[in-house]
Amino acid sequence: MSFDDSIATATEWFDASDPRPTFPMLLDRELLLAELYGIYNVPSVVWIDEDDRIARPPVIAPGDDMFRDFTSIDSSVHHTQLRDWVKTGALPAPTGREQIMLPTDDEQLARLERRVGAFLARDGRPVEAERHFERAVQLAPMDWTIRRGSLPLRGDDPFGEKFFAFMGEWAEAGQPGYGSADPNAPR
Amino acid sequence: MTDLIYLDAEHGPRPISATIDGPRVLLDAASVTELTGWTLKPEGLCQDDVCVPVRDPQLAVDGAIDVARFAVALNRPAVVDASAGVVALGERSAERRGPIESGLAPDFTLPQLDGGSFTFSSIGRRKKLLLAWSSW
Repeated sequence: MSFDDSIATATEWFDASDPRPTFPMLLDRELLLAELYGIYNVPSVVWIDEDDRIARPPVIAPGDDMFRDFTSIDSSVHHTQLRDWVKTGALPAPTGREQIMLPTDDEQLARLERRVGAFLARDGRPVEAERHFERAVQLAPMDWTIRRGSLPLRGDDPFGEKFFAFMGEWAEAGQPGYGSADPNAPR
Repeated sequence: MTDLIYLDAEHGPRPISATIDGPRVLLDAASVTELTGWTLKPEGLCQDDVCVPVRDPQLAVDGAIDVARFAVALNRPAVVDASAGVVALGERSAERRGPIESGLAPDFTLPQLDGGSFTFSSIGRRKKLLLAWSSW
């Protein structure tokens, strides 16, 4: 499930995959699943069992090691854990680094402000959109889905100066919402 | 009446008719029921067999409901931007926390990249991996 803003943007990445994934590929431009499952960053995974119980709440789990220098997360750890769970039902031992994030009133309002900002931006009204994006960031300053995810809609580079300034603030705050599947990854 | 856009988490933008009175946006009672499932009755705002008493005399004006005051009465987040012509109503944080705390995976329906929509519960009794990613 992609938090991108358009099917075209997300599809570009899926089409580049070889082989192309065969599982359902969804677009969540309104961040519904961020709200329903408490997802604050990407890539996040949630394990759900046969009885639709959340076997493992959201954890950060990159699919490969492309950004390992940045994340310090060994992607193979999650892959091994996932295979074990699928085959045997065994859950990984708690690492003590899990971060179950429960939505707050401010975050719910931030998601709403971001939703209004996104609508106005898509509608070609960037000035009106901007005041809602600003309010969303004030309310949920450490939520990547809101703060970084809004950068393309605000006409900013998600890999640019504003992103790196945010990343510095977030690291200084202790990387909230970045519970990793890899118990050896530094916090 | 003025045409506005109504936003919530699970639907696309929906056009609605409303009365704008300064910063206030007023929807007719039938629209509120259609959009939210809540109905204003003498005993309060009601949905199914639940009624929330309303003590705000300004909630309803000539049969129309003030969206911002409606949200306050139900303790729900709202964004009312009358000048931009957009109204958005969200869910209470407690509503969203409940499933996460109980460990029950909420169902959802989202558009598929290949067209159409997909409902999560259609997978049935299998183990499922939900992967959230983005190009950003």
